[in-house]
Order: sequence, then C-alpha cells, then structure tokens
Amino acid sequence: MTVIALMGVSIRRVARDRLSLFFIVVLPVLVILIVGASVRGFSTIRVGVVDTGSGPAGGQLTTLLATTPGIELHRYGTTADLERAVRRSSVQAGLVLPDGMSAAVRGRSAVELGLVAESANPTQQAAVTAVQSVVARYAGEVQAARFTAGATGAGFEASLALARQTAHGVAVVSVVSRQAGTTLTTLPQGFSYSAPTMLVLFVFLNALAGSAVVIGNRKLGMYERMLAGPVRSGTIIAGEALGFVAVALAQALLIIGVGSVLFGVSWGNPLAAAALVGVWALVGAGAGMLAGTLFASPEQATAVGPALGIAFGMLGGCMWPLAIVGPTMRAVGHVAPQAWAVDAWTRLLSQHGTLASIAPHLFVLAGFASVFLGLATWRLHRRLS
Amino acid sequence: MAPPALVIAQKDLRQRIRDRSALVLGVVAPLVIAALMSLAFRGAETIHLTLAVVDLDHGAAATGLVGALHGPALRDLVTVVDEPSIGTASTAVHGGHVGAALVIPAGFSQSLTGGRPLALTELTNVNNAIAAQIAEAIAQSFVAQVNADRLTVATAVAGGQPPTGAAAALVDAHLALPVATVQRAFGAHQLKIISYYGPAMALFFLLFTISFTSRSFFVDRDQGMIERILSAPLHPRSVLAGKVLSAFVFGIVSITVIAAVTSFAFGADWGSPMAAGLLSLVMVMAVTATTALVIGVARTQRQAEGISSFVVFGLALLGGNFVFSAATPPLMQRLTLLTPNGWALRGYTDLATTGGGLSVVAGPVAAILVYTVVVAAVAAVLAPRALTR
Repeated sequence: MTVIALMGVSIRRVARDRLSLFFIVVLPVLVILIVGASVRGFSTIRVGVVDTGSGPAGGQLTTLLATTPGIELHRYGTTADLERAVRRSSVQAGLVLPDGMSAAVRGRSAVELGLVAESANPTQQAAVTAVQSVVARYAGEVQAARFTAGATGAGFEASLALARQTAHGVAVVSVVSRQAGTTLTTLPQGFSYSAPTMLVLFVFLNALAGSAVVIGNRKLGMYERMLAGPVRSGTIIAGEALGFVAVALAQALLIIGVGSVLFGVSWGNPLAAAALVGVWALVGAGAGMLAGTLFASPEQATAVGPALGIAFGMLGGCMWPLAIVGPTMRAVGHVAPQAWAVDAWTRLLSQHGTLASIAPHLFVLAGFASVFLGLATWRLHRRLS
Repeated sequence: MAPPALVIAQKDLRQRIRDRSALVLGVVAPLVIAALMSLAFRGAETIHLTLAVVDLDHGAAATGLVGALHGPALRDLVTVVDEPSIGTASTAVHGGHVGAALVIPAGFSQSLTGGRPLALTELTNVNNAIAAQIAEAIAQSFVAQVNADRLTVATAVAGGQPPTGAAAALVDAHLALPVATVQRAFGAHQLKIISYYGPAMALFFLLFTISFTSRSFFVDRDQGMIERILSAPLHPRSVLAGKVLSAFVFGIVSITVIAAVTSFAFGADWGSPMAAGLLSLVMVMAVTATTALVIGVARTQRQAEGISSFVVFGLALLGGNFVFSAATPPLMQRLTLLTPNGWALRGYTDLATTGGGLSVVAGPVAAILVYTVVVAAVAAVLAPRALTR
C-alpha cells in the first residue's frame, strides 16, 4: 500500500505542475504536428517561372505547366528573384523563358530554356524531371508543327494548332512504374512517421527531465526522513519507480490518443503496441531514476537531460530514419534504446508486425530497462542504507 | 572601479561557468548534436544510381536506348548493369543491389511504328524514391523523342502528306526536340546539411539563455539579493542590467565557439565572418531583449520557467531550428518570418549558398533589429517592476 501511496504522490506532483504538463502534452503534440506536416511527401512540386517577354509561345508553355497535375506554378518578375526562391527551396526548380521565344520557336534552330536547380539536390532533381517532361511534351508539338509547316507549306501557327489537335489521337509511349520492393524499411511518411518517433523521444526526454524531482528529494533529505517511519528503503525506491512508469505510460497513451484522433495514425497490432509502450515506459522510468541518482543538481537535470534525450533520439532514429544513414552510424545508433523502439514501431506500422515479430526488440528493450532500473536501485539503496 | 552592472555580470558568468550545465547547454550540446547530424547525412548530399536494364527486345529502338544509357552523358549519374530477365531485375531491386530497373519489352521497337506502342516498365523500390525518380527521368527523356516523332508523322499525315512519305522524310530529317532546357549556371552553392543545422542548433541552445537567466534573476531576488543591494549606494536596476549583460556575453561566446568548431571540424559554411558575426550579434541582442521581457512579465521563479519554456520552444519550432523550414507548408514558412531566429537562419542560409557579404544579411539583420527594439521597449517598461514587486 505504501508503494501505491508514494506513486500517487509522484503523479499528483506532476499533474499539479502546469509546466510539466506543457512538456508532457503540449510540446509533443506541436512537434508531431510540425514534423508530420513537413514530411508529408512530395505530392506537389513547386515550380517557378520567369517570363519577361517570351510572347505567346511562353504563355502556351506556362499554361501547360500550370495545368499539369502535381505542379504548382509560381511566377517571378526577375531571374534573380527566381534564383533566390530556388536557393531557399521556396520552389524546387525554376524555368527562365527567353525573350523572343515565340519568334525562335517558329524558326529552325533549337530553343533553349534556362533551368534553375541544383543538380545535386534530390528534391530539386525530382522537380527537374517533372519540368523536363512538360517541356518535352511542348517540344514534340513544336517539332511536329515545324516539320508539317515545311512539308505542306501551311503556316507555323496553323500547323501547331493541327499538331495539338492530332496529339489527342496519337497513342503515346509511356513509362509504367512498378514496385519491386514493397517492404518499407522506414516508417510511413506524415504523421505515421512523426507520432511514433516523437512518442519514443518525448517519453524518454520527459523522464530524464523528471529526474529533477528525485534530485530535489535527495537534496532535501526527503528519503532519510521517510526512513524514520516504518518504511523500508525498497518500498521508497519502488514507489518512485512506479511514479515514473505511471507518468511515462500516461504520456504515451496521450500521444497515442492524440495521434489516432487528430492525426489519424494507426498504431498497428494492439497487443504488440501495448507491449511496446509498456516496455518503453519501463526504459524511460529506468533512465529517469538513474539520472536522478547521477546528476548533482536539479539545474543539471533540466539542462543536461533534454540535450541528452535529443542526442539519443537522433542517434536512435527519432529525427530521421536510420535506414538513410551509413552502416557505421546505424550500428552506433543501436547503442541507444531509441533505435530498438523505432525499429519495433517500423515493423508494426510499415510491415504489419505482430508481438512475435517484435519480440527480439522487446527483449533488448527489457534488457535496457533492467540495467537502468537495476543501477538506479543499487545507487539509491546504497545511499539509503 | 568597474560599474556595478559589470561586476554583477562578472559574478553571474563566473557562477554559470562553475555550474557545468552552462557549458553543456552553451557549447557541448549544440556541438554534439550538429556533429551527429553531419555524420548521419554524410554521403546523402551526392547522388549516384545503379540502374539495371532488361532488354527483351534487341530491336533498333532498344539498342539505341541501351547505348544512350551506357553513353558518356550519364556516366557521372548512373552505372548501368544488364540483367537477363524481369525476375532477376526484380530481385536485384528488391534486395537493394540496384536502385531501379528499366525493362524494354519484347516487340518494343516494332510497336513504335504502329497505333499501339508498348510501354517501358520501370521497377522501383519503395525505400529508394530518388533512384525511382532518376530512372523515370532517363526513361522519359528517351520516350519524349519517340513520342515527338510519332506526333510529327501523324500531324504531317493530318496535314495531307502521304503516310509513307512523311515517315521517310522524318527519318531523313534526323530531328531532335527543338525546345529543351539547359541548366543555368546558378551562382549558388548547395546548402550542406551541417551549414543549416550548425547555426540552427547554435540558435536553439542560445534560446535557452532566456530560461537560464530569467530563472536565475528570480532565484537571486527570492534570496533577498535586491534588498541587500539596496542597502548599498547602488541602483537596483544594476542587478537587472548585470543579468542581461551576462546573458549577452554568454550568448556571444557560445555562438562564436560553435561557429569556429563547426567550420573547422565539420566543414560548415557560415559565410563571410563579418556578415555572420553581425547576424549573430543582433540575434544575441534579440535573445537578450527577450530575456528582459520574460523577467518583466513573470512574477515568480516558477512563472519565469513556464513562460520561458513556451517562448524558447515556440520560437525554436516556428523558426525552423528542428525541421528544415523550406520543407514545411507555406503557412509555416510565413510564420517562420515572425521569429528572430527564423530570420537569422534565413540569413545564415543565404550566406552559405551565395558566398555574399554584408548586403546579403541586410534584410535579416533589419528584421531582427525591429524585433529587438520592440521587445526591448516593452521590457524597458515592464522589467524594472520586477525589482519592486
């Protein structure tokens, strides 16, 4: 009973403190929202166009770009404005239509359009592909019009109109894309990515920050005073640990609830997800308790705790998928328990994993939890006896 | 003798150096995190694709396509390997041995002259979107010429030319697509990840100065320091000035150390030292002014912690310190420009990508100064009240 009472005290302290509620509830939800919105995939490609006097030809090409599904067109007044926009990634690629383009298109020589993008930048490369395929479609019409005008003696404009009309009836050679590898090795994009990773990040981070309470109790001699009553040191430690677990569980459940309701995240196999959340709460509790016995002052806990939590989160794949980093960093990343938790969520969400398929991860995480809790118990016990 | 504010600032700085958490927040944490980011993304900034080709056709068009793939134009971007069948190519893509595969179906060349041309098939892996896009681009650029030629013949026929004559004339004409894009010399460097996250992390941890300093003001006040100072011939505002000054010095030192280490150890590009220095200076002023404002608004130590947490994380989230702001939705990008750190990051990005100097950061510096002046003006009214409450 004493254990439950001690746990209750910890929970009440957290619940009454509006600042910790900010870190437990508000901050994770905001981060999930922002990260989720920014890794939403690349369904639209933003393309910029500068047209300072290309004439009707430029207008036709611009219309073609603007009406192509998936392209969002932005117009800029000068090439410098366009380049700035590409540099800052406000648009992913830019097209500079040359002055006198209409006359050039009617002529015989090749017409060159300026393309602004960095060839080494992956998202810009995708945008370049999209722009080039629209330009090629337009170029096909121009080629047909030039050829027909030359062969039949009809005017260029009339031939271009004819080419456009004919284009509807000509079957095109297409490129069909088929998935050969369909097993995602990363979490799905969007909120299904941000919600589980931020759950892993914040439960751990919050437990580290919560270690300030243990330090405060230590400094005030609270534990020694408790021992004056008929309470054993084991009971005190168990009570503190349960308090940490309860707060971690509550936070995880809140994030899961908000993720499901607001962001439509599906958390996979319920039994496996529950086991994962439970084990992760134990890992967080262990880390928090251990930090409580290691840090010298509450100031250190609030300063070093979050920094440590963020660094571990990065190593462990909470900020970006470990699938995209090199093999060495991936191996090093698995020093952090976060990596095992994110791997397990990836199996659950991307590969329809079950309790059996994440069993190895749960086992490793349970190992982390035992080591953290064991060390913390040993250090606290030594202090209290 | 030094002015009282200076003495108080010195004492504060000494205290913070002795408390190792200041060192962690100001120097160690931003460096470790920037280093992690740099290590994680090493190699992600250049692209090279291994593309498998399955030629089941061996006709003229197929041979032309395979030849173009092996040609010098694509050598830097693509390594081409031949696969005998769709099955082996699928396995190679699935296993990640090749980025993507291109399949030329049997009868492809023959079908191009008829009404129902066959399609090229691209095999992709869901985990390698970039390879899929590049393979798509290569296939599309080949297909574009084929489609243009088919349209040309059809248009000439529609214009009254005999079909066989039109086709023969087209072959003789050796047409190439008459409108094409040419990559412009762009006068900009690619933004390296460390050049974004180096400053981003430096600013993120700089923002923590707001929490630290405002909290320490209230700790001092609650310990009766102001009353004690009032017994000496000193103005209580010296305490406030000292606090704010120590935050300023701490910020300058922290950002300078991080700039130096990320530049020399990780190759971050902070741009012209003069311009980056000016930008950092005004940013530290903005943080200092915000600190004074939090002291003015809060009534207790606990309130100071709460308000500063909101301010620090609010600014960091909106300003793009966590997520690369250009990747966020347009609304978010507009919100970014309401924060001084968002403007500063834009300034550092412009410096790193243009190689420009002071003129490049004029806009960001002006914006941050406007923020600083407004915040400092409000703080100047409110903050002295914290001394008498």
